[in-house]
Parts: sequence; structure tokens; C-alpha cells
Amino acid sequence: MSLIISTIDQGLLWSLLSLGVFITFRILKFPDMTVEGSFPLGAALSAVMLQQHNLVLSLLVAFIGGCLAGLVTAILYNYFHVQSLLAGILTLTGLYSVNLRILGQANLAIGDQHNLYQLPFLQQLTVDQRLLLLNLIIIAVAMLVLALLLYTEFGQALIAAGDNPTMALSQGIAVKRTKTIGIVLSNGLIALAGGLVAQYNGFADVNMGIGVMVIGLSAIIIGERLLVGRHFISKLISIILGSIVYRLILLLVLQLGFNANDFKLFSAVILAIFIIAPQQKKGMTAK
Amino acid sequence: MSKLKRFLPLILIFGSLLTLLGIKKIKEAHQPDLPTVGILQPLSHPALDEIHRGIVAGLASAGYHNHKNIEIDFQNAQNDQSNLRLMSNRFVTEKAKITIGIATPAAQSLANATKQLPIILGAVTDPASANLVQNNQQPGANITGVSDQAPIQKQLDLMQTVMPQLKTVGILYSSSDNSATSQMQLFKQLAKQKGLQVIDASLSSVNDLEQVSQNLAPKVDAIYVPTDNTIASAMGTLVHVTDKTKTPVFPSAETMVKDGGLATVGLSQYDLGVETGKMAAAVLSGRAKPASTPIRYLRKGHLVLNLKKAKALHITIPQNLVKTAKEKGAIIK
Repeated sequence: MSLIISTIDQGLLWSLLSLGVFITFRILKFPDMTVEGSFPLGAALSAVMLQQHNLVLSLLVAFIGGCLAGLVTAILYNYFHVQSLLAGILTLTGLYSVNLRILGQANLAIGDQHNLYQLPFLQQLTVDQRLLLLNLIIIAVAMLVLALLLYTEFGQALIAAGDNPTMALSQGIAVKRTKTIGIVLSNGLIALAGGLVAQYNGFADVNMGIGVMVIGLSAIIIGERLLVGRHFISKLISIILGSIVYRLILLLVLQLGFNANDFKLFSAVILAIFIIAPQQKKGMTAK
Repeated sequence: MSKLKRFLPLILIFGSLLTLLGIKKIKEAHQPDLPTVGILQPLSHPALDEIHRGIVAGLASAGYHNHKNIEIDFQNAQNDQSNLRLMSNRFVTEKAKITIGIATPAAQSLANATKQLPIILGAVTDPASANLVQNNQQPGANITGVSDQAPIQKQLDLMQTVMPQLKTVGILYSSSDNSATSQMQLFKQLAKQKGLQVIDASLSSVNDLEQVSQNLAPKVDAIYVPTDNTIASAMGTLVHVTDKTKTPVFPSAETMVKDGGLATVGLSQYDLGVETGKMAAAVLSGRAKPASTPIRYLRKGHLVLNLKKAKALHITIPQNLVKTAKEKGAIIK
């Protein structure tokens, strides 16, 4: 039972990453590869700031760092007309060295004493309860902020800029600037997720970004199959559910005790089934 | 109908997986309950696979055989860090008697998942600096293990014995590899004490190897390579470059000498695994407690010489070294 709880818990935490990926991939229709660089960037910044024993600052710095990474990609794409995938890949390649510089080594451990999951006033709870409670709070706050943002005028402009840039422009929306802000926020959120994952795992590693793009997308793809509401809030909830379902599927595959080397193949096949299966014809599903 | 259609993939996947799980559980119910040994490996690659092989052999040499009196649960995260946590949790919930983490990220992930289960480290260079133990002599908690700290001083001495005229040493290492980086720093310090010039060059992936080594080889008399997983898997590329400039390569691992390095006093990854397996067996049987078992270092490096390579580079290896290697080490002709 506790394995299921800790899996749900991880699903919640990683859905923060998926929410960030959702902003670029689904709202802006912008395939942003920066993820694989901004995620470990957040982890690195957070780990280094925690050595100074400042939790709030560590998460804030991670967020700002991610925003800056997103800004680089956005500028390359919007103002220098570099192709979307390429812009992200350029940034993520450069970030590898930046992350190494920040960490000062390939892998930095985060001590138990001052990370978010070890806060003193939570020590009466069991480990499982503590992690679950914190991740629930984190994800609830993130969702609320994101949902509110999408209902503001800026949020609506963001959706319009992604859906139909030509029309948005004719409506007087500054498409370039709106897209830039969207990419910046998305990477800020992803870096924040990286920082939290590093604290949850107890270390930051330069190779942390490998494969996170797929993880982020998996939750979105599965989530879109579970629940397609008309409101953005239900889309956001479906991503979180998708993230949890993805983890539960991996857990089942793991429990079956297949050869460890075949694990990746299973993940790919399962995702393929979700993508290929008959599509709903409404909402923001992929064409 | 459309509702059902939407949930089809979910029903399909969960249905089939749960069915399989059920079958497995029924099968298991007929088997005696053996204590579980969880082994966690961050990714597949020759050196780490070799350690894994050694661990299984080490356990067997102490009388613990898979499916007979223990059940080995081997998990490989395939370089996806989010899986490490999932797999660590799996060990905790199945109440493994002992867990073994190969290399730093796997070890850290286990350490974070449990404070009770004993954890044995396989090949973590400096457990104290990776925050895994309080100190390497008195670990103090549920973790101990085997370090893959190479005999760096001996390796440097060997270089100077083989090349008395040595003035400038190049060090080639991966910046993404903690163990390699810390060895590089130690080697640099020791070489400087001996009055040698040191030029270090780092690479961030195997694709940089050719270019970085092309740039380094002409500037130095010899190249030293620490225990570096990335370079170990691409020795061929490196040797191809250094052969052109007649620059000898002194690696840290035996396998790398076989692949075209000149000589080393190295640790075998397999032996590291065997030591790890033996230590795990000692903890399993209750003869040792992680808290009071110091981190073990492999002291006996093997002298391995590649005479074929020496001939090609026109380097004469002193006779007494050849004799030692013949008796206690290995010679590649």
C-alpha cells in the first residue's frame, strides 16, 4: 500500500513539470526542448542555494533561473527566427556547461537538515504522510496560480497566440511578446519542479534532465485521454491525473519483474497505445 | 460508447498488467519466501555491468545463491533519474533484507528512500563527500560499502618509472562524472608535487572525445585517464588519436589497457563487485553492522602492461616491471 502512496506522491510532484510542458506544447503549440536543460538547472540552483540554508531563496532562484533559460530560447525563436526545436536544443546544450559550473561537480548531495521535505514542524507525521501532504500543497498552489493566470486577459492572449497567431495579431495582441512570456513562465515552472525533485531525491545531478521531456509529455498524453473538459481547470486536473496514472503504470511494469533492460521499451509501448487509440474529437487534442 | 472508447487504452493496459501481476502472485504463493536482495544500477554500461556480475559472484562465494536461499531483485533505471526513486521505494516496500547501490546516484536514491534497511555501496569513490556516510571510517548509520578509489599514487609512480623523461602530463576526464573529476584533482595535486607540468582537458560527452584528445595529445608527453565511464567505453577513439602523435595513454582500469592503453596499476571492476557482494553477505548473515563497518578500499592494484602498444610507441618497459606483471598482474602482447 505504501508503495502506491509513494507512487501517487511522485506522480503529483512530477506533474509540476508536466504543467510547465503543457504551457509550451499545448497552449502555445511550441515544442520546447529547453525542458531538458532548465529542469536540471533548477535542481542545480536549488541544491547550491540550500548549502546556504535558505529554502525560500533556493526555490525562488531556481524559478528565476528557469525563466532566464526560457528567455534565451524565446529570444532565439521570436527575434532571431531560429526554428522552435533548434532554439530549445541550442539552449539546452549550453545549459549543460552552465549547470556544471553552478554545481561545481557532476553531482551534489542535499543534506537532510534544511530541505523542504524535512521541515521541522512536519516531523510528527510519518514520511509518507509528509511527502504526500507537501506535494499536494505544492501542486494545488501551482494549479491555482496557473488557472487564475489563464483566466486573466494575459492568459486569454496566450491561448489566442497559440491557437491562431494571425488572428491574435489582428485582435491587437502582441504575439511575439506574449509567446516570449509564455516560454519564460513555462521554463520557470519546470526549473522549480527540478528544484523540488532534487530536494525530494536528496541530490542534484547534471544528468537529471535526460528523458524528462518524455515524462512531461506522457502525463499530458495520458491525461488528455482521461478527461477532456471544456474548462482549463479540468485540463490541468487531467494532467495531474495523467501523471499519477503514468507512474502507476510504471509501478505495475516494475512489479511484474521483467528484465530491467526492457523497462524503457514497455514505457514506449504503453505511451504508443495511448497515442494511437481512437481520439476524442473535441478539446485540445493533438491533430 | 464514446466514453468507453476514451478509457479503452487505460482499461487495456491496466487490465493486462494486473492480470499478469495476478498470475505472478499466484505462482509466487507456491514458492518458499526467500529474503530479498535489492540491487539498483543507474544505467547499463560495461563497467557497471561488470560490478553487477561481481556482486552476484561475491554473494555466491559467501554461500548466498539466487533462487536458492536469496531472491535477487535487480533493477536498472536506464539513465532516467525518476525511475531510481520508484525502484528504491519498491525495495523498501518489499522489505528487502539488504539493498545494494551501484555508483553514486543509485546510492543516493536508496539512502533517501530508507534510513532502516542496510545499504551497501558498490563503487562510490568518496562516500563521505557524497553525503552518504558521516565519515568513511565510522559510517554511523545504515550505509557502508566499497570505494572504487584507484591507487593514484602508484599510477603516477608507474608513469615516471616507464617514462623517466616525463615533463608534461595531460589528464583527460568527463566533467559529468564525479568520481573521474575527484581523481583528476588528486592526480593533478600529486603530479605538481613531483614538479610535473599538468594540462587537464574535460569532455561533456563521448562525442567530444576525438576533438579534445586531438588538441591535447601534441602538447603533452603522456596522457592520464582516471576511472571514467565515458572514456572507458570509447578507448578505441582515444587510442586512434594518440597513436598518431605517439603519445602513451595511462588509464586507471585494466579493461582500458586491453583496449590500447599502455600500462596501469588498476582495480578490476569485477573485483569491486565481488568485495561489495561479500560485504553484503556479511551484513546479511548478521556478522557485520553497516554503522560500524568502515568503507573498504581495494588496496591491491594489478600491474597490467600492454607490450604490443609499448613496441608500437617505441617505449622500453623496464625488465623488473615486466617480471612483476608476469608474476602478479597481466601482460597483453
